[in-house]
Order: sequence, then C-alpha cells, then structure tokens
Amino acid sequence: MRGIRKAFGAVTAVDGVDLELRGGEIQALVGENGAGKSTLAAIAFGALRPDAGTVERRGTVGLVHQHFELIERMRVWENIVIGREPRRGVRIDTDAAKRAVRELAARNGLDVDPDAIVESLPVAMKQRVELLRELERRPAVLLLDEPTAALAPAEVAAFFATIVALARAGTAVLVVTHKLQEVLDYADTVSVMRRGKIVAHFASRGVALDEIARTMVGGELPKVAARASTAPVPRVRVAHLRAESGDNAVRDVSFEVRGGEIVAVAGVEGNGQTSLADALAGVLPYEGSIEGADARGVIPQDRLREGLVPSWSVTENVALGRQHARARRGALLDRRGVLQAARAIVERYDVRAPSVDARVATLSGGNQQKLVVGRALLDDPAFVVAYQPTRGIDVGAAALVQSRLMEARNAGAAVLLISFDLDEVFALADRILVLYRGRIAGTFAREDADRAKIGRLMAGGT
Amino acid sequence: MTIAGVIGAFVVLLAIKTTPIAFAALGGTLGERSGVINIGLEGMMTAGAFAAVVASGATGVPWLGAVAGVVAGAAFGALLGVLATRVRVDQIVAGTGINLFALGSAAFLLVLVYGQPGASKTVPSLGNGSWLLVALAFAVALALHVFLVATPAGLRLRACGENPSAVAAAGIDPLRIRLLAVTAGGALAGLGGAYLSIGELNLYSDGMIAGRGFIALAAVIFGRWTPLGAMGAALFFGFFEALQFVLQGSSIPSEAMQMLPYVAAIVALVAFRGRARAPAADGIPYERNIEEF
Ligand SMILES: Nc1ncnc2c1ncn2[C@@H]1O[C@H](COP(=O)(O)OP(=O)(O)OP(=O)(O)O)[C@@H](O)[C@H]1O
Ligand SMILES: [Mg+2]
Repeated sequence: MRGIRKAFGAVTAVDGVDLELRGGEIQALVGENGAGKSTLAAIAFGALRPDAGTVERRGTVGLVHQHFELIERMRVWENIVIGREPRRGVRIDTDAAKRAVRELAARNGLDVDPDAIVESLPVAMKQRVELLRELERRPAVLLLDEPTAALAPAEVAAFFATIVALARAGTAVLVVTHKLQEVLDYADTVSVMRRGKIVAHFASRGVALDEIARTMVGGELPKVAARASTAPVPRVRVAHLRAESGDNAVRDVSFEVRGGEIVAVAGVEGNGQTSLADALAGVLPYEGSIEGADARGVIPQDRLREGLVPSWSVTENVALGRQHARARRGALLDRRGVLQAARAIVERYDVRAPSVDARVATLSGGNQQKLVVGRALLDDPAFVVAYQPTRGIDVGAAALVQSRLMEARNAGAAVLLISFDLDEVFALADRILVLYRGRIAGTFAREDADRAKIGRLMAGGT
Repeated sequence: MTIAGVIGAFVVLLAIKTTPIAFAALGGTLGERSGVINIGLEGMMTAGAFAAVVASGATGVPWLGAVAGVVAGAAFGALLGVLATRVRVDQIVAGTGINLFALGSAAFLLVLVYGQPGASKTVPSLGNGSWLLVALAFAVALALHVFLVATPAGLRLRACGENPSAVAAAGIDPLRIRLLAVTAGGALAGLGGAYLSIGELNLYSDGMIAGRGFIALAAVIFGRWTPLGAMGAALFFGFFEALQFVLQGSSIPSEAMQMLPYVAAIVALVAFRGRARAPAADGIPYERNIEEF
C-alpha cells in the first residue's frame, strides 16, 4: 500500500500511509484508539475505498473484524462455508460442510461446535468462528483487527500458535492489537500509528515495551490512580445465586462486595462470568438473592450489542438508560443536562469523537468503549459491574479507565470487576474470587493473593 | 346436498380463496427473508390482475394472460428492489408508493384500453385450468422451502436478511440477491393477482384485490417467515374468506361478514405474536462501502 489517505468528513482517519506486508512475516500494528488502524485494515482488505493511494494485492486477503461480521442466528458451519458451500446436486452437502469445519477447527486447534447457533456463543467463541471463516478461504494475506481483545491468556497462546504456524507456511499477517506484550512475543516487526500516520517501524526483537508505548501516545504513559485507604461498608450481598444463559451458568454463588472495595472475578471465560454479570445487571432471571445492587452502573460485555445504539449520537447514547430518572425534566428529556453529561464524559475519558452529535457507529472501537465506561460511572453509582472494562482500549486509555474505577472505589463505590486479564485483576482488586465452572473455587485478599495458585484454580486444579 | 357434498363445495371454495393470498404471501416471504419488507404486494397483485386481463383479452389465450401477470408483478417487484437497494429509498415508503401507483395506473389504463371506468370487459378465463394454479401454489411453497433450507443460494438469501455485511464479506453482493428476491417475490404476487382476475373471475375491476396483499403481509408474519408457514397462514385466511362467502345472505349483516378475514388477520397476529422473530436485517437498507467499526 502506498500513499493511502482516507477521510470521513472532517476527520482524516488515515493520512498518507505506506505499508508492506510480506509472506511469512507477522507485522504488528499498534496505536491509540482512533489512530486509524481499523480503517487501514479495511482499506487493505478492500472493504473501504481510499481517497488517495494505491493498494496492490497478491492473492486473496482475509480480514478478522474488530467487531465480528457474523450471522448471529445461523449456525457456525453456515457462517464458515457461506459463499463456498460444498454441494451435492443442487443442495448444500451439509455433512461435508460440517466435516470440513470440524477438520479445519482441529487442524488449527480452535475447537468449536459446528452446529451451535452463533448468537448463543460467548464472545471468545465467536472470535474463533470469525477466524475459522477466514482461514477456510486460505488467504495469502491475513488481517487481524484486535483478534485477542476478548480472549483469555491461555486462549491467546493457542491463537498465536495457529497464526505463527500460518506465517511459517508463507501467509503474510497483519495483527492490530493493544496488548503490547503480544507484539514482543509473536510479531516480527511492528508499526506504530498515530493520528493517521505511521510514525515508527521497528523490528520487534530488542525493542522495549515502554518504547513502543511512548511512541504510541507520543509521551509518557499516565499512571493508574493510587489506592486510597478506605473503610469498607456492607453494600451488595449475593447469596446462593443461580442463573444460566445458554451453556453459561453460575451455580450457587455467594459473596459480598463492600462499598470502598474492588472485588475482581478471575477466571477463564465461559465459567459463568456472563450469567453472573447479567444477573447482577438485572437482565437475566435468577434464583437466590441479590441485595443492595439497585443503584448500579453497568459496563456490559459487548459494547455494540448491549451497551450502545450505534446509529444514535453520542449524546443520545448518554441519555440511554437514564431517561427515567437523571436525564428527565418533568415529562421531557433534559436535553441540556444530557448534553453537559456527554461533554463531561468526552472530556474525562478522552473520547475522540468529531463531536457529541456524531453517530456512535463512526467512533473507533476503543472510543466506543470509553463512552460506555464513562456513562456507567457518570452518576457515581453505589455499585459498579465492570465486564472487561478495558476491552479494546489502548494502553494510555486503559490506565485512564482503571484510574476512574479506582477513584470510584476510593470515593466509596462497590466495584465488581470481571476480567480475564490477570494483570488488570492484580492491579485493581482488593479481593479476588476465582470462578470455575460456575462456582467460586477460591477467595483471596489482595495481600495474600498468590498468582500461581490463582492460575491453578482457574484451570480447575487445587 | 349431502354433508359430504357441502364439505366438498367448501373445500373448493377454500382452495379458490387461499390461492391468491398464498402466492402473494410466498412472494412476501421470499423478499423478507432477503431483508426487504414488501409493502407493495397489494400493488403487485393489482398489476398482475390487470395485465392478465389485458393480455388474455388481446390474445384470446388466457395462459398468456397468466404469463403477463407474472411479468407485470416481477416488473413492479424489480422497481421496489431497485428503489430499496440501489436508490435506498425507505422500503415502506417505496412499497406504499408502488401500491398507489399500481392502483392509479390500472384505473387510468382501464379507461384507456376499455373506454370505461370501474371494470374491464369480460375476457377469456382459465376456467378449469385455474386448478393448475392452485396446485402450483402448493408446489411453490414446497419448492421455496427446499430452496431456502437446502440450497447454497437459499443460504445466501437468508444470510442477506440477517446480516448483509457478512454476506458481502464472503464476496457475494447482497444488493443483487435482494433485488432478485424481491423481483421473484413480485412475480409470485403478480400471479396471485392474475389468478383473481382470470382464474376466479374473468375481468378486472377497480379495488378487486381488496386488501389481499396486506392480508398476505400478515400471512408472512403469521407464517413465521417460512414458506410452509405462509402457506398455512394463507389457508387460515382463505378459510375465513370462504366462510364469509358462505354466510353471505344469512341474517348477519353482510358488511359485518366482510370484515371476517380482516378481523381474523388481526386476531391471529395478536394471538401468535412474539413466537418467532423477523430476520434481523428485515427492512434495513444495506449500504455498501460505509463499513461500521
Ligand atoms: N464510518 C466512519 N465515519 C466517520 N468517521 C469514522 C468512520 N470510521 C472511522 N471513523 C473515524 O476515523 C478515525 C479512525 O478510526 P479507526 O476505527 O480506524 O481507529 P482505530 O485505530 O481502529 O481505533 P481503535 O483502537 O479504538 O479500534 C476515528 O476518529 C473514527 O472516529
Ligand atoms: Mg479499531
């Protein structure tokens, strides 16, 4: 790609980029939220036409979308074979299709059930389906837009094992990511993008993580706010909670989250986190009791499906969910109040949007996430449920979001953090619960949390 | 008449009343599964009914009339398809426009061709040949079922109704699929109209479709967006039309009786609401090259 430029209205998303992907090489693309990474990937793929510049492709190109491009109500195998269905006469050869999917999954170490309906799958599983669909096409160039944002550490390793094997076999790979450690571990080279331009290109061997991060944000990284000493007060009490959605379930879980503490739920995705979060958020029926969780702010798992209305503006999305109480003036919406709230979020969370009237669909993924976090914490809720709050956020913004959660805790909020990122868990938690197969396998206070032991419990050990 | 005779006569009536609704409902199902709501079914039936009469009258061959009905319906279907995909007019607005346009132009052409408003002259009808169309309606329902469930093209069409961007990502043009689906749907609705004018009757008169296109729209939903379901729903509504026909002349006022099929449609929709979901992208225009991140 040479001299690529792409503007959306007044925003120049990609501003004169040259990029070359070589067969057999894994190139990482990093940069702040809104730097233009997804736009560049879409141009390389051919889904977007650049305003200027040329793209030359040798062979087929596959793109794993940041927000997935799946047919939710269809089966896994249908999603994967569509466009290249095996036939028997005029019909689809269903058995052959499923067999092909199973073989493809086994060959790449990405286990999925070909008959599952996509919408019933957890995010990590959808990620696999999305990747398998692209692998099925045997692309010469594979573009991955934040493929590991929703994966647990163990899955990340398995995922990259597949990618590295593909690259060794000659595929050219571009991987967009915010997890800089992945860059060091798996990529051959790394390009850093800032405000539409590629500002640096390193060989990833020998480069320091800090150096990449500083080049990305163009300065020093913000520090996570300090943990103040608080005197925790009883707030949320969960007793004998049972809930299930699809094949995700919590079975008899009891715990407390006190005001002034962050309780983190550690665990591999699929061990009941979704059901737990949904029950606490009030969107899933449950048995047992949940007390003290009424004044809550929720950061949901899937920002686009559960958190935002993409075709609405930033302001309208800020009003969403608050229309009955906070954002009301008599029978009408308090437009000025909502506008002020939207502006406050945009400023406090550094949401990069052209204006508060911009459609949320036009924001970059990380900026959408910051908006969701900002709205959840807006009214100083007494209880916060945060599901992967830093999913898809750049390192600088992640520190910012973690700071805001810490500040909410310092100010007396009860915070329940559900995260697959142990670093995040250890950075924020006052107490850690390990969730395994829908039950609490262990509870640790911050002081005596043992990383190795928690890792074992997460995997079902003792 | 014996009981068997009465039942037999009623079954004949049921078949006659069901067929036009069935064709239109199957056409509507095809469109909605691809993601285009076809409010214009009524207009496509009107166009089919009128064109069938004109062609049958002009050639003296009623089967050519049926072909003309199909072509006219397909033309209006294609018009909706182009408006909804390439021009991206709101589907409801475009469909409503087609209804008004078809009704108005039929009334106008009636005067032009036959020199009289209100109704055409009588033309050769299909007579007993119309039973072939009744059978065809059932065959089409079955064929569409197999098409949607088991063929590659059917899978792609269904995918267009769920997430057209995913179809585009697989290298297939969702707009083309939608255009073809709505055109084929229009052809079926046109055939339904032709059945009314030269199958059941032998002339065209203004307003003869009488809301059957909208009943078909209800049948699409009642039939849970499946061809077999649409056929079943058409039978349900056909039953009430037949019943209304039979009860005409009884002590119940005929105006009240005429309401029967429509009341049945409302009751059915309310009673069976929420049992099935419409295709996720039903009625939502697909914009190419405006990817969302
Ligand atoms: N369809 C669109 N219309 C208007 N603006 C857009 C559109 N798509 C992207 N943008 C803007 O272009 C810029 C780059 O967005 P892009 O999605 O490429 O960022 P990114 O680097 O992938 O960020 P993230 O890490 O948050 O995913 C952002 O300012 C975004 O708001
Ligand atoms: Mg992005």
